[in-house]
Amino acid sequence: MLEVSNLSKTYGKVKAVDQVSFVVPNAQVGILLGPNGAGKSTIIKSIAGLLRYTGEIKIQGIPSRKMEARRMFAYVPEIPAMFDALTVREHIEYIRKAFDSTISDAEVDVLLHRFELDDKQDKLGNELSKGMMQKVSICCALAVKPQVILFDEPMVGLDPRAIKELKETVLELRSFGVTVLISTHMLEMVEELWDVMFVMNHGQIIGSYEKSEVGEKDLDDLFFEMTEGDK
Amino acid sequence: MGALLYLSKRTFINNLKKAVKKPVTLLLMVGIVAYVVLMLYSLGILIKEFHFESLSGFIAIITAWTFYMFIGNFIQYFSRKGVIFRPAHAHFVFPSPISPKAVLLQGAWMNYLLSIIVNLILLIAGLTVFAIPLWKMLLFFMAGTVLDISFEISIMLILYTGERFSRETIQKICMVLKGLLLAMTAVLVFYFYQNGITLSTVSTFVDMPALQMIPAVGWNIAFYRLILLGPGQSNVVCAGLYVVLVMVTFICAWRMKCEGNYYEDAAKFADDYAEMRKRKSNGEMVFGIEKKKKYKIISGEYGATGAKAIFYRQMLEYKKERFFLFDKMTVMCLVLSIIFSRVMRDTVVETRMPQLVLLGVILYMTLLLTGYLGKWENEIQNPYLYLIPDSAVRKLWYATLAAHMKAFVEGCFLCLPMGIAWRISPLQLILAILVFTVLQANKLYTKVLAQCLVGDVLGKKGQDIVRVVMQMFLLGFGMAVAVSVGLLVNADLIFPIVLIYSLFVTVILGLLASLRFDRMEQVL
Repeated sequence: MLEVSNLSKTYGKVKAVDQVSFVVPNAQVGILLGPNGAGKSTIIKSIAGLLRYTGEIKIQGIPSRKMEARRMFAYVPEIPAMFDALTVREHIEYIRKAFDSTISDAEVDVLLHRFELDDKQDKLGNELSKGMMQKVSICCALAVKPQVILFDEPMVGLDPRAIKELKETVLELRSFGVTVLISTHMLEMVEELWDVMFVMNHGQIIGSYEKSEVGEKDLDDLFFEMTEGDK
Repeated sequence: MGALLYLSKRTFINNLKKAVKKPVTLLLMVGIVAYVVLMLYSLGILIKEFHFESLSGFIAIITAWTFYMFIGNFIQYFSRKGVIFRPAHAHFVFPSPISPKAVLLQGAWMNYLLSIIVNLILLIAGLTVFAIPLWKMLLFFMAGTVLDISFEISIMLILYTGERFSRETIQKICMVLKGLLLAMTAVLVFYFYQNGITLSTVSTFVDMPALQMIPAVGWNIAFYRLILLGPGQSNVVCAGLYVVLVMVTFICAWRMKCEGNYYEDAAKFADDYAEMRKRKSNGEMVFGIEKKKKYKIISGEYGATGAKAIFYRQMLEYKKERFFLFDKMTVMCLVLSIIFSRVMRDTVVETRMPQLVLLGVILYMTLLLTGYLGKWENEIQNPYLYLIPDSAVRKLWYATLAAHMKAFVEGCFLCLPMGIAWRISPLQLILAILVFTVLQANKLYTKVLAQCLVGDVLGKKGQDIVRVVMQMFLLGFGMAVAVSVGLLVNADLIFPIVLIYSLFVTVILGLLASLRFDRMEQVL
């Protein structure tokens, strides 16, 4: 479970996130939706421990900055940044060591195969295209075997096959009881994935829905209903 | 910690493999090491020439070094810019379950390596140049590597993890410390201006007991003095205080709670640093991490069409900049010119050939300084350039015209102070400025050609070496003729000959370089 309470973040005089609170329960996929500059990435980065903030963030009930909490969650940033001199395989090996992950070599092979990286294992970080970096970033996050996983605009730069694979992966993670939080503004990409949705604008959550509440209503309609109304 | 060790080990091994695969990189590295060794050797000779090769001389050097390095490091760590992380750290290391203190310790490995290298150089210098007994130098080396690095690590941990200070307070403290360094420099300059630089004046200054009483940095210097000079009243007390200080800071750093609050600043610095490295590897002369540029809002229209629009767009960009065509490079030209004009004035006037010396300075600036990245270099990376319906020659001319204007401005700043101080006639001075402008254009076009010829094989540094060789080869003949005529016939003929010859060569190079503006894909 991921709990965010009264999260606020200010850059200089600009309030990027203002008193945001939400919960993504176990084995559910939460979606942070919002236009550019709404504060989605700031929330994801705060949860990942990359920013100073006020408020409280808990992962499986443990404050997110504690080591026990960090061991349980993985993070896929919006813009991947590889170590220039580390190969694809070495990136995963590093993650295995850092998180003390139980992932086996065979499981790593399967993961790399799924994202069509099996023939790129020995490529160095600075030899990868942006799309490939994104795939490595996703593989590294999955290699953690997390209980909570954060995706920040994960579909950007991916080819159609990788997008399909990622969607399947997210659904699999949910079926294994993993809590997933995806930040995006590409509504059509998360249509079939979400369980809970939080719509953001101007650093605040302006509405939230559960899939069971909205029935067959279109995600686009829900989003524009809320953001246009906000204008 | 195991993961971080793995990260360091694999990075080192893979970089080594890459260097072995690329002999040019390896050769470049060997060249740099050889250059540094040569510089240090020359420095040793210089120290002997100035009769500084005694224990007092060594103490003076380590006093100055310790003072500036200590406060410099303190400022860097306090503003959280002393440890270089990569953007990949923000992606893979900061969110991982690794102690933020361990992350900091691993991230600062280059700092420790630098300290060890400096101490090693001082050890060798102490034994060879300054003839200090081995046991004293070994003790000095141990103090430098064990005690000082422990202190540096402790200070780094405390300053990075301490969250008590706000950003504003940190900025204010950094300003005060920078002010202290500047004040110290001013005192030094004034003292040596009054008393001259001799071993005795230097010793009198560094032997002042007040210097050793400055908390932390002075105590550190006192510790070195205790090792090298033996016990004295002030150095024993101050060195004792230094040891206590190291122990206290170490314990504080050990016990201090840290949950990674510094990650935000470290990640921001990593991005800025990566940007700076990118600019550097593109061949730009970078003066450190720069703040995000603020542009002025200006009004006005331009009605140029075709390739001319490139020039007017560049001018519009320059107008929006704070100082128009003037930047750090202009300041550097002015400062260098003032220094040269003052330092070399008597010698140059004595030679009665100031034109020749000025030409030497212009050539040095043209050949050896890599310079800034002009707007033209961004232009050829922009696909729109190739879509403009105009000829390649016109595109090249208008894309580089602003760079020529900028070179003219820099030429004025470089040549005028030297020319006036060395009593060069106004006509010769104008010719010198024009020569500088043409040679800069020549440099620019040779750079384009070098990019076309070896861009696929060599990196920016390699391309720049090829550019220098090409320029030396192409301009060498004209320069040799001009210098010979200047020496044998009349020195006033130097600049006209150089100007006509380099203009001729530059026009041909420009026509060749225009090929680069024809197609984005380069096949020569």
